[in-house]
Amino acid sequence: MSNLRRAPQPGTTAQMAQHSILKTLQATEMIDSSKPVLPAEILAAILDYLPVPDLMRFARTSRRMREMVYDDTRWVARLRSMGCWDEAEARRRFEDAMKRRRELAARAAAATAPATASPTARTPTVGGVVSGQPTPSLSFVSSTTLFDASVEEERQKQMQQKQHILEVRDGFETLSVSGAVPSPRSATIPPVSQADPSQDPEALLQVIKNVKSVRGHARQEYGKIYGAVAPFYFDLVKARTHTDPIVFQVFRDPERQAQMLANMRVFAKSDWAAGSQQREDKLGTMIGIFESAVLREFEQGYEFWDVDGRMKKYAHVLGILNGGNAGIELFIQKHPIFSDREVLANPMDCINQAPADAISLEPSRRFFDVLSGKVNEQAGIIERIFPKPGPVFWSFVDKVREDIIVEYTTPLFDETHERSIPSYVRAVSGLFEQALQFCRALTPPKSATDATQQEAKAKEFALKIFEPHLDLYLQDELEYFTRQAEREVGDWEKKLSAQDASVESFYMGSFNNRQADKKDFLTSFKKVVMMPVSVLPTSLGLPGLPIGSPFASSKAAASASVNGTGLSPQPSRSQSPGPGVAATITRGGSPMPGGKAPTDELAAKAALMTSRLEGIKSLFSIEVALSLVHSAKSSLGRVAVFIQLGGQAGGEAREQCEAIFVTLLRILGNRHVKPGFDKAVTHLSQYNPREVSQHDKGGVAPLVTFIELVNVGDLISQMIDVFYEQQLAGPKIADRNDFLDPSGLAKKKFEQMLDESVAAGLNKGIDVLMDEVEYICATTQLPTDYNPSGPSSDPAATASEKDKDSKTAAPAPAAVAAPAFGAGLDMDIGPTHTAQRVRDLVSSHTSMLVGSTDKSMLDVFNGEVGLRLFGAVCKHLKRQRISTEGAIKVIADMNLHFEYIRTLKNQDLLAYFKALRELSQIYLIDARHAKEMATIIADGDRFGGIFRAEEVYEYAERRADWYQVRRDVERAMYGLECLLM
Amino acid sequence: MSDTKDKNVQKVTLQSNDNSTIVVDRIVAERSMLIKNLIEDLGDEAIASSPIPIPNVNDPVLRKVVEWCEHHRGDTLQSAEEENDNRKKTTEIEEWDQKFMQVDQEMLFEIILAANYLDIKPLLDVGCKTVANMIKGKSPEEIRKTFNITNDFTPEEEEQIRRENEWAEDR
Repeated sequence: MSNLRRAPQPGTTAQMAQHSILKTLQATEMIDSSKPVLPAEILAAILDYLPVPDLMRFARTSRRMREMVYDDTRWVARLRSMGCWDEAEARRRFEDAMKRRRELAARAAAATAPATASPTARTPTVGGVVSGQPTPSLSFVSSTTLFDASVEEERQKQMQQKQHILEVRDGFETLSVSGAVPSPRSATIPPVSQADPSQDPEALLQVIKNVKSVRGHARQEYGKIYGAVAPFYFDLVKARTHTDPIVFQVFRDPERQAQMLANMRVFAKSDWAAGSQQREDKLGTMIGIFESAVLREFEQGYEFWDVDGRMKKYAHVLGILNGGNAGIELFIQKHPIFSDREVLANPMDCINQAPADAISLEPSRRFFDVLSGKVNEQAGIIERIFPKPGPVFWSFVDKVREDIIVEYTTPLFDETHERSIPSYVRAVSGLFEQALQFCRALTPPKSATDATQQEAKAKEFALKIFEPHLDLYLQDELEYFTRQAEREVGDWEKKLSAQDASVESFYMGSFNNRQADKKDFLTSFKKVVMMPVSVLPTSLGLPGLPIGSPFASSKAAASASVNGTGLSPQPSRSQSPGPGVAATITRGGSPMPGGKAPTDELAAKAALMTSRLEGIKSLFSIEVALSLVHSAKSSLGRVAVFIQLGGQAGGEAREQCEAIFVTLLRILGNRHVKPGFDKAVTHLSQYNPREVSQHDKGGVAPLVTFIELVNVGDLISQMIDVFYEQQLAGPKIADRNDFLDPSGLAKKKFEQMLDESVAAGLNKGIDVLMDEVEYICATTQLPTDYNPSGPSSDPAATASEKDKDSKTAAPAPAAVAAPAFGAGLDMDIGPTHTAQRVRDLVSSHTSMLVGSTDKSMLDVFNGEVGLRLFGAVCKHLKRQRISTEGAIKVIADMNLHFEYIRTLKNQDLLAYFKALRELSQIYLIDARHAKEMATIIADGDRFGGIFRAEEVYEYAERRADWYQVRRDVERAMYGLECLLM
Repeated sequence: MSDTKDKNVQKVTLQSNDNSTIVVDRIVAERSMLIKNLIEDLGDEAIASSPIPIPNVNDPVLRKVVEWCEHHRGDTLQSAEEENDNRKKTTEIEEWDQKFMQVDQEMLFEIILAANYLDIKPLLDVGCKTVANMIKGKSPEEIRKTFNITNDFTPEEEEQIRRENEWAEDR
């Protein structure tokens, strides 16, 4: 719509007005005023369709037309279509020029400023072109100067150009005479504006490369190219046969011919006059003929393996012509490496050379070694042949991958997948490692690719090989691990049921140094978890890999066995056969019996641990946990090598790693640890002190078992934690800070499950412990303990009661009690046997827990135990009859309890036992001081508010002489005394 | 706006500057971007009731243009960039267009101007190409005559330009 402006008819007349009368006359002569005149933009559009020679003739018609033709954008467009115009370069040049001009102007201004007082005087001196009007300000001066200077420069340049052309022409003519250009037609080839006047055909060839991007000079630059290429181009287009074109006559050397043809191909892009399509097609066919001829030469050279001669020469020719793809393709397609018997190994060797159901990666390693040697050799040859060896080499490697490596790996994977999954997962991961290594070992020609690029290439390379297998592999790996782990747990369960769980021998290990043991164990575990990195005898010698694949060591049997046994739980398992044997072993204090001593520290520790923990063998086994962790580790290690691939494949591998970890926790937690805890809790709840024959062991069997369990559970939890840190968080498989991370969640869940189990068990444990305490109190406390004169006062009641009790429940304590009874009224003022046993029982159990669970839980546990102990002691006290003599014992007992409670460092609890200690003193008061007794009973402050007066009164009733003092006490308490008075 | 089917049937009346009218299918008229935009702006009713004035184009030229539009009614419209690319590539003129353009020079210029005014890019291109073919091989003097150009160069100047661009000369 904007184009509707029509060139004004009187435009020509306006033009006329500007010119001399003579010109006007001339014009009127020629103008046929009836003819419509096309507006400038349409003329410009028309010019676009004109071939260059016509364009130049058109420029000669008038100034306006010349301007239109010379318009820089027109020529920039042509240069750009050839890809010869660099806008950035043009801008840089322009800015440089501007800078120069500005400097020039500044200098000129500085020079003229003092000399000229009035601006009008200055103007002509600066630019040489009068702007016509006085320049009022300095800034204005500089801007006009700029403009004027640029015009001037332009002009000068044009002048130079003209002279230059003349010179060039001279130069060229001498050249053509000299016979370098034999064709008579080419003698008329117009001069080429080249920087070097004494030019030769070489300059013609390089013309496109030498083009500069200068604003305002695009036409001249294009002229250079046109001059050099167009004659050949139009000649070639006109040629009938491929022998005709002068390009093949002027240039005898195939490299130059190729260069010229390539130039023409570029030049053709700037030719858009009518018929350009046909011209380009023609050029294409000519180039095609030329190319196939060159290719034939190259092929012949190839057949004779004439690397530095024909192959190199023609590869370069092809490279100049069109990048040389055809030659590269030929080279790669026909390369002898693809039929080299030495390279083509049989993938089945990997299976055949290994024992059944296993895989040996040694043949594949050899295969890759040989291959990388060959490929690197080819890299040298490629470098010698091709002008740009980098891409050639990589496409060669691609072809090697497709035809050799994939051919090698795929059947191997398929075969192993059919035969056995373990060897399949090993093969995939191992070959992946080897392939990656192979790729890193490649030495690309020169500095075509730097290290990071090669690393990327290596990854891409490996990805391409393994992409088809990756999904299946990852899935299989997870399944394999799950199956293995489940089998492990299942085996253990089977073995256990076979062993008959009734043989519940438990062992009270040396609990005092448990924490040290645990720490010891964990450090060795940590060592082992980290160890494979340094110990793994990788034949491939991978540096800096986070996790080595254990199986890669299969060939280095000796060193691998150290590692292997370190990882496998075998030796430790063989060490703990039946519970009975184990008991003897452990009691012997020697953790490493038998000929098959574990070679590895961890195995030894595990064995030691296991033997110590014989007691919980029926519940869950640290061995099983360890072996689960190990198989998880090896699976993880295998999968983790794929993570370095990055991208989607790497992400999938990472997810799979997490899935393996989650599965590990699921199986370990739900299948192994949780049932163990459940069983232990059930055992606890079924415990009845009266039914257990042995009480002299100093512990409640199921509770000890349970606490052991807590310890082991804690150990496993720490193990998992270490594992997580080392294997997942360390190599950045899982993000420790991502709370949605599945492995982190699973770990938390596992820990939570453990805590809950422990809490539930401890709850039961307290009940059981108190049952035991009460049982001990009931069975071992002799009536004479607190009432030495008791038997004489009321022997029948208590004794018979006691007897009945001890007969039904436990004969043993009675037996124990008998000598004590016999020893009679020892005036030893220490605590009674019963109190000591109670103390020992409780303290041994509470101390067992130390370090196995967190402190807050321990505090709660201790608090509860203390409170319940208090209750039990109170209850026990109320059952006794206490004489003044026996009061010493009572006080001693209470002191014992108090001292014990103090070790728990629980202030609230201490208050109770303090009160109890105070309370025990009421038994010491002689019957004569009944009045004082009454004040003590009524003195609530004395007991810290723990006991009320009524309660104290109840305790006072347990005095052996209560009935004698009762009256006095009551009188004193309730004021009956006052009544008397 | 109505869909293509309607446009095929719907009629539009065009009125040239000498007041003669031509009735064409709307789709044909809309080859001209000017008319297309005009119709969009004015609405269907206005178009149906009164003719569209084309003040810059006389009757014979308008008929000629309409003829071209009729022939090219089915062509897909090109987007601006596509056209830019294409202009460089497709320098050939279709056979029908070649025949169509076999008119005297005055008519040719009028068609080009009308195409420019009516904003019919393909027609304008065909016209330009035809003109370019006319110029081909002509001497400057002949070109001046053809295009009614005044020579404002001195012979020296003209010679200088020739020398400047000697590289481009036919051999």
